[in-house]
Amino acid sequence: MSVFMVTEKDAKRLRPSLTSGLIFVLGIVMVLVGQLALNMVLTHDAYELRALKIEKRELATEVQIIQEEVSSLSSPQNLADAANQLGMVANPASVLIDIESDKIFGEPTPAKAEGGQVAAANMIANSALGTVSDFSIATVASGELEVSVESIDSVDSGLVLRSGLIPASPTR
Amino acid sequence: MGTHAKLNRRLGAFALVLFLMVGVLSVRLVDFQVVKADEIQEKSLKSRSQTETLQALRGDILDSSGQVLAKTVFRYDINAAPKNVGPVFQNIDGVRTERSVEEIAMELSQVLGIEFGELILRLEGDSEYSSLAKKVKAETYNAIKDMGIPWIFSDQFEDRLYPMGAVAGNVIGFVGSDGTPLAGLERQYNTCLAGVDGQQSFERSAEGLPIPTSNQTTQPTQNGGALNLTIDANLQFFAQQVLADTVNELSAEWASAIVIEVETGKILAAAEAPSVDPNDPAASDAEDRGARIFQAAFEPGSIMKALTASVVLDTGTANEYTTVTAPDRMNLDFGGEYIKDSFDHEDYTLSLAGVLRYSSNTGMTNFASGIDRNIRYDYLKKYGFGSVSTLRFEGESSGILHPASQWDEMTNLVTTFGQGVSVTSLQMGYAYQAIANGGVRLDPRLVENCLGEDGGVIYTPEQGSTRVVSEASANLNLELMEKVVEFGGVGKTAAIPGYRVAGKTGTAQLKDGSGYGSEYAISFYGVAPAENPKFVVGVTIYRPEGVSNSAKATPPFKAIMQQALKHYRIPPSTTQSRSIPSDKFGKVDVND
Repeated sequence: MSVFMVTEKDAKRLRPSLTSGLIFVLGIVMVLVGQLALNMVLTHDAYELRALKIEKRELATEVQIIQEEVSSLSSPQNLADAANQLGMVANPASVLIDIESDKIFGEPTPAKAEGGQVAAANMIANSALGTVSDFSIATVASGELEVSVESIDSVDSGLVLRSGLIPASPTR
Repeated sequence: MGTHAKLNRRLGAFALVLFLMVGVLSVRLVDFQVVKADEIQEKSLKSRSQTETLQALRGDILDSSGQVLAKTVFRYDINAAPKNVGPVFQNIDGVRTERSVEEIAMELSQVLGIEFGELILRLEGDSEYSSLAKKVKAETYNAIKDMGIPWIFSDQFEDRLYPMGAVAGNVIGFVGSDGTPLAGLERQYNTCLAGVDGQQSFERSAEGLPIPTSNQTTQPTQNGGALNLTIDANLQFFAQQVLADTVNELSAEWASAIVIEVETGKILAAAEAPSVDPNDPAASDAEDRGARIFQAAFEPGSIMKALTASVVLDTGTANEYTTVTAPDRMNLDFGGEYIKDSFDHEDYTLSLAGVLRYSSNTGMTNFASGIDRNIRYDYLKKYGFGSVSTLRFEGESSGILHPASQWDEMTNLVTTFGQGVSVTSLQMGYAYQAIANGGVRLDPRLVENCLGEDGGVIYTPEQGSTRVVSEASANLNLELMEKVVEFGGVGKTAAIPGYRVAGKTGTAQLKDGSGYGSEYAISFYGVAPAENPKFVVGVTIYRPEGVSNSAKATPPFKAIMQQALKHYRIPPSTTQSRSIPSDKFGKVDVND
């Protein structure tokens, strides 16, 4: 390693340019600022992603809660009990109408409340039953439902079946 | 020494020191960057990286109309860290408020349904873990989370929910507390239902957030497939209700009912009582957790006569007008043995329809004893007896049908009326399906298919068929069976207004030691509408108390068949049955 002695003039000539230095430093600062900005955006996105994931999980939990409620209400056990509470009686006799030929199959027979084979209330275990239908007087009253049912003894024979006009039942 | 030389020496010393320092640093640098580079990098990555298992969801089990019978839900274990238990400061209506441990415990006890005293005990101590409640539902979890207590934490896990409880529970089966399938279709079709867990690896920041620019690898989860059954949950529920009522009324050990769609061979209902609620299998006795329809074999008794009659017709041994003498007791010419009917009567002259109508053992024996035993054995095999079905249900029984070569003289005769063999409800149901389906027995179908997450079909069971008897024999046999319901003493109670029904009663005495005891398995298997069969319904009631005939088996049959006809909108019959000799004189009944 050697040390060279130079003249003052040469030293001035060899001194680095301030402009070049500034450009160099500014360039580095700009790159760093750009990287910082990019990182900030990415980090912000990471936080947003986490927030959205949490929201998704919470919504999925809500969906599960509602689905379980619907499953419970629509379970045959609840429906059987609900029908029983409402005093409904199944009628085993089926009467079918053939729209094509305008024929009625079967004899209309009133449902019997007593003596039926099927126990009206549910007899099948379901420990998953949570929310159940409530048709107590208090519930019905609070719902302002019309509870009176008008009984009709005879049906007006003015009903005329016209082939093909009654849509087929979507159920089986 | 001049100034220049002194300066140069000092600079040289400085350069040497500098060189040494740089050298030492270079050695360390090489050590870190080259020699130990992998080790350090691995250590660093390990401290930042995190791997999460992405849980695959077990697939649903659905009935024929898409109603969910089994699904996967999330449940939560609620835990606390007693070490950190203390008052909590919370902002309530904008006011910073201190909530005492007792106050929090009081609210917790209400939400979790645990007594306050017990809960307080669980919150005491220096441990970092104390279980407060296990397997709580999502709404409870939400309520706990909303309380915002820092020393309470939860563990989420998958659980199986059976929204319809015991509806088809015996068939569906259940899973253990760790999610392992233990019984029924859950176990048999685990390959379809179980998913494949995924995995996610990422580098995290000190706050636990994924570092955006880090390497993230994800192996996606593959959720389980959906298993679609042929079971109609509504009809299944109805049948189970009927059977539960029947078992209660008769104090029977168990009862089963199978509903088969004749044209497709699909099982629409496989009901039994007692049944198991898969949500809580432990609540049922161990023997009630299986599926007796597939697993329990019993001696069928007289329901077998309808099948023997079809063999008699198919082999040309007799037709609907042929008659035999049917005494109430018939002595046999070997070993002092005899065969008798279930009731005392004078000698009848019975046609095949008459034999079915009066359920005469002697009459059936006289019709069928002339048929070679090997031929009858072959027919029984073709009807599906003595072997497990293509369902391959877990623990399915093949019943007992010894080879004809092993039949002794007595077995040769009694097999004609359902003794000396044992069958499952499934086997008998499909034997009747064969008769209803023009003599062709279809393989049973319980599973429609297994669909992948994307809706693509992963698996569809193949269905074969076996021609057992000719179409003419099968149809004629149905006509004979109609006389059981039209004129039979017990059979009449199976009649459904508006529909032509064909069927056969069965009252099988159960073995008690080496002989027959005083307990019975009573059955009724039938078909409707007889002129265009849609459904087979088979009901078996095992060990009903104080019951010695099948009169108690017909009401459940009638209720279930009537419901099936109504549910599937089957129009009532518009034709009458053919007049066929069926009275005790071998003539057409005066009311026929």
